[in-house]
Amino acid sequence: MIKIENISFDHCIKCTVCTMYCPVSQATHLFPGPKASGPDAERLRIKNPELVDSSLKFCTNCKRCEIACPSDVKIAELIQNAKWNYLKIHWFRPRDFFMSRTDLVGGIATLFSGIVNFIIGLSIVRIFMHLFLKIPFRTVFPKYEKTTFRRIFKKELRWSQSEYSKKVIYFHGCYVNYNNNSLGRDFVKVMNALGYGVEMKKEKCCGVPLIANGYIEKAKKNAVYNIASLQKGGGDSKIVATSSSCTFALKNEYSSFLELDNSGIADRIEFVTRFIYNEFLSGNIPKMKPLGIRAAYHSPCHLERMGGVMYTLGILKKIPGLELVVLNSECCGIAGTYGFKNENYDISQSVGKSLFNLIDKAVPEFVITDCETCKMQIEMNTKYKVLHPVTAIAMALDIK
Amino acid sequence: MIYDCLIIGGGLAGLTCGIRCASNGLHTAIISGGMNSLHFSSGSIDIAGYNTKGEIIKKPFDYLKTMIKENSAHPYAKTGIPGVRESLNFITGKFMEEGINLNHNNDMNHFHVTTLGTLKPTFLSQESVFNTDVADIANSHNKIAILNFKGFRDYYPEQTAANLKKNSMFKDKEIILGDISLPYYLNTEKNLHEFRSIDLARIFETERYLPRIAEEIKKASGGASIVSLPAFIGIRNYKTIRSKLQEMTGKFIYEIPSLPPSILGLRLDNALKNSFINLGGEYIAGERVVSGSIKNNQVEFVTTRNSGNIPVQSKFYVLTTGSFFSGGLAAGFDNISEPLFGLKVKGENKRSKWYNSNFFDRKSHPFLGFGVETDSKFNPVSGSGKTIKNLFCAGSVLSGYNPVSEGSGGGVAVSTAFKCAERIIKEIKND
Ligand SMILES: Cc1cc2nc3c(=O)[nH]c(=O)nc-3n(C[C@H](O)[C@H](O)[C@H](O)COP(=O)(O)OP(=O)(O)OC[C@H]3O[C@@H](n4cnc5c(N)ncnc54)[C@H](O)[C@@H]3O)c2cc1C
Ligand code: SF4
Ligand code: SF4
Repeated sequence: MIKIENISFDHCIKCTVCTMYCPVSQATHLFPGPKASGPDAERLRIKNPELVDSSLKFCTNCKRCEIACPSDVKIAELIQNAKWNYLKIHWFRPRDFFMSRTDLVGGIATLFSGIVNFIIGLSIVRIFMHLFLKIPFRTVFPKYEKTTFRRIFKKELRWSQSEYSKKVIYFHGCYVNYNNNSLGRDFVKVMNALGYGVEMKKEKCCGVPLIANGYIEKAKKNAVYNIASLQKGGGDSKIVATSSSCTFALKNEYSSFLELDNSGIADRIEFVTRFIYNEFLSGNIPKMKPLGIRAAYHSPCHLERMGGVMYTLGILKKIPGLELVVLNSECCGIAGTYGFKNENYDISQSVGKSLFNLIDKAVPEFVITDCETCKMQIEMNTKYKVLHPVTAIAMALDIK
Repeated sequence: MIYDCLIIGGGLAGLTCGIRCASNGLHTAIISGGMNSLHFSSGSIDIAGYNTKGEIIKKPFDYLKTMIKENSAHPYAKTGIPGVRESLNFITGKFMEEGINLNHNNDMNHFHVTTLGTLKPTFLSQESVFNTDVADIANSHNKIAILNFKGFRDYYPEQTAANLKKNSMFKDKEIILGDISLPYYLNTEKNLHEFRSIDLARIFETERYLPRIAEEIKKASGGASIVSLPAFIGIRNYKTIRSKLQEMTGKFIYEIPSLPPSILGLRLDNALKNSFINLGGEYIAGERVVSGSIKNNQVEFVTTRNSGNIPVQSKFYVLTTGSFFSGGLAAGFDNISEPLFGLKVKGENKRSKWYNSNFFDRKSHPFLGFGVETDSKFNPVSGSGKTIKNLFCAGSVLSGYNPVSEGSGGGVAVSTAFKCAERIIKEIKND
């Protein structure tokens, strides 16, 4: 059966423009490109699923092909679907298993963060990981925090939140919880400055790394959990996330890819910069002092696909004393867990090269971007520290 | 947060307008869903190629006077002839800054060779298609080589040659046909790519195989001193590649636009986008405007696919959404419309009047002349008949001209967009 909503491949006019903009087919001849792997192959696949070929694994799901397509074909979605629906994998893959269990691994690693950070920094361990887990030797893992953001929130931040008449529900995601507590603090600070108290619901990993690694059933379980949890109480308060990928999953992929009913939350989910933009637009702009820094802005692929770059730029331009160099849109190459795998390392580096060059050319003091994995990739490959837009605002609020 | 100028549609028109506004310091954004028609074009910019009888125009700027006289609703009548010139100077300057030289033939049209081997008059071309040497070399040498990359599916040199031979300029020339190949890249087990122009352009772009390619060119082209290849000799660094190849082979390398995707067009698109972003413009790709709200004869805000409850606002708006092909105009069963604002459209509603039965009719097809109606300032008229003052229209969404039968697409896009930008700059200054 052909699902009626999935026939966008039929709108393809065979212009090959998508392949022009695919960063992976630019980097390797082993990937036939979005046109051939998407709409072209789909016509055959719906007749005979065995025709799916293993080169689909090269696609990073960056969605640049969809941005380029003049006929609105859901190319990346076709590829993602084909990759995991037809290519069912049953054997145990230790690396992919642990890499995609961000909350399981994060939960344990934060308990023993000192040891964990020490161990994964050791050359000998990295050689082991390279050989046995097929994780590139040069990968610099994000450091684990000593505690989780949830614990910090419970202990220190929660008490003052009821002072605010309006409230938002914060979806912090794994990265803030285990690897970057300070972004969570910055979020609370900025929301409070806007007059919003922050509340949190129980949450599991949004499922992005699970989907990317083919654990679709597990991703569905997490999604069902999150939908139910976020739906409970909270009225019509916005559910705000600081990760662009989590936002995209909660808002779009739960329904479009996992085929779940997220209608109870979809309209309430906001990426943080869009939320702030709307506040700024209605005149609710907190007092910020001039930052006096020069920063380069990199727009993450998934944020572009959500049409969110407009909002991030809108609020960044409101920060006084922030000299902003907006970089030409390029993929950083990391694509979630993709670049953390041996077999993708060269492609990932080659994709990111133009972005790294652009950053160097801009001579900034900082790089600003909305996505945590873009941040990791840029920090691994350039000498610059990468800030989240929310952190930039928090910095401007802090200046006395 | 409220833009000075919001441009809907990022084609040649939208980008020209955006660059002009941004270079004047206006807070400018372009929202564009899907790539524009430059990706399907020859990469040359036409101003006026044919008169109403279908005869070739030699001096386009002289002919513009006739054009305007015969059709006072023509966009060129609204930009004025000096306006056309000023806009082209402006945009060629911007291309130059981005490393692309667009050449003209002493203010006259020149020909470029199409994929099919026909000759088309145009005004501005990249140097691999027209420069001051090309005519001299073509006239003084008798042999021409038309080469292809072995395995490339979108080009048939035999056809180019057969059609060129029909032309008096090439009747007496000896045409050598041949292939160049890189065996490594034809190993389909190792390489899954499709061999479209973009795949080949990327091989050239690496510059790694140039000596090898130069050898192949020499071998295949015999004694010819002009060698044509389908346009794929690199994207960003095509100038370097071309001059290296010329040096290594001692031959003049000429490019023929291939079937889409067009690398010649891609170069122009890259250059314009770079220029716009470097001037501080915000280019929002992959986003579509779905509707616009008009109140008191002014656009209040527009809504995009993702903007939901947050209106996107600007002091001025420019509609450069292209023609039917790009979605700027929409065709129903028996009506045509402008889908975003419901603007008044000039054209025929009856389906049978949209096209000619002969596909390659020199008069082209009537639907290409359909479009939005505007006043002399490029302000359109709303469905209720009122002029909308803060909305301008430019490029192929306009009515009053037929880009194909006139050979005027690029010139109209650039000049009308430039004029709209000038108006907006002036109004904002007066504010
Ligand atoms: C196939 C083809 C080949 C051509 N070749 C030549 C040539 O070789 N030389 C020449 O001089 N002229 C050529 N032309 C004529 C062409 O019309 C102009 O040269 C010019 O490129 C038109 O530019 P434009 O900006 O008006 O429209 P387009 O280039 O069509 O751009 C319109 C843009 O608007 C976007 N858009 C549409 N609707 C929306 C929406 N709702 N929201 C957001 N974005 C939207 C589209 O995605 C597209 O990117 C060609 C035209 C076509 C169709
Ligand atoms: S860009 Fe869209 S229409 Fe063109 S080949 Fe790709 S999928 Fe097809
Ligand atoms: S999603 Fe990205 S990597 Fe995959 S085909 Fe599209 S452009 Fe290429």
